[in-house]
Amino acid sequence: MIRREAIEIIAKTLKNNPIVSADGYTSRDLFETCDKPSNFYMIGSMGLASSISLGVAIKKTKKRVFVFDGDGNILMNLGSLATIGKISPKNLVHVVFDNSIHESTGGQPTHSSIIKIEKIAQTCGYTVYKTNSKVKLKNILKKIEKSHTLIMILVKVEASKIISSRVIHSPTKIKNRFLNSIN
Amino acid sequence: MNEKIQRKVFQYFYKNKIENFVGVPDSTIKYFIDEGLRNKKILIATREEEAIGIATGMSLAKSTSLVFMQNAGFGNSISTITSLVQLYKIPLIFLIGWRGYLSDDAPEHIKFGKIQPELIKSLGLKSKVMSDSDWQKSCEWALTQLNAGEPCSLIIKREFYD
Repeated sequence: MIRREAIEIIAKTLKNNPIVSADGYTSRDLFETCDKPSNFYMIGSMGLASSISLGVAIKKTKKRVFVFDGDGNILMNLGSLATIGKISPKNLVHVVFDNSIHESTGGQPTHSSIIKIEKIAQTCGYTVYKTNSKVKLKNILKKIEKSHTLIMILVKVEASKIISSRVIHSPTKIKNRFLNSIN
Repeated sequence: MNEKIQRKVFQYFYKNKIENFVGVPDSTIKYFIDEGLRNKKILIATREEEAIGIATGMSLAKSTSLVFMQNAGFGNSISTITSLVQLYKIPLIFLIGWRGYLSDDAPEHIKFGKIQPELIKSLGLKSKVMSDSDWQKSCEWALTQLNAGEPCSLIIKREFYD
């Protein structure tokens, strides 16, 4: 399974849940497979998707907020796992697409092939699900549908040569349509 | 800025509908933070960029935020300010403790304290340096910026030694 396929499966399962997606190829994949006003595409400020989603989740307790993160991204802001764990929002689902490389900068390795992100998340109080297959991913999404707890889904994905197109909306348009859709 | 005024600054923003106070502690503004802690309104982040990210999420949920930090952490946050706060036009108030304002402050603060005014200017981030006498005017100005959808910063000078 490549990231784009995993993103499509999750995004199409969700209705209008807010999704904060990390900069780089993650946002591009989401934009190309399932563009919606409730998607907040990050352009730049790598590492902060989880923090932005925490802010949304704290304030929008009746909405289940998703964050589409990457291994390189979350390793850049590991402190956010501690902050999220401390606050423990029950309406936050933290999805990490883990290919163990910095794909958009040329495929350089990240630490995630050695360091287990899921173990760090568990220590921070997350309930963690892990998968590398589409069938299992769909099962996890069904399983968590009614659960009311802080969740991480670690999706192991393969590197891919397919590159999605850039998000064409302007940053202020991304913000305004997200704002109107979740409030 | 003295203890009494710092507590007043917190109360001013709290009563004027700033709903979230997110940041990383700094000794220059410790009474401001303490007043927020007493009112259970402070969220402490692990880094300043993280604090800005959380406050951005709250802003997207239409909830107003102030982000507090030391100027060293402001330095850490420059890319986040340009590529998140300014790029998406996120209305936030930054409250920044100015270490290195006194030329004989601790050595690690001297350089940044010196370049800070020019740095803020070249970022194009609107800012005011607060004083004990005109703090309320500065706070009013910051609220006006926020209501106009603009980020801005308030600076508190470090005028003591420890």
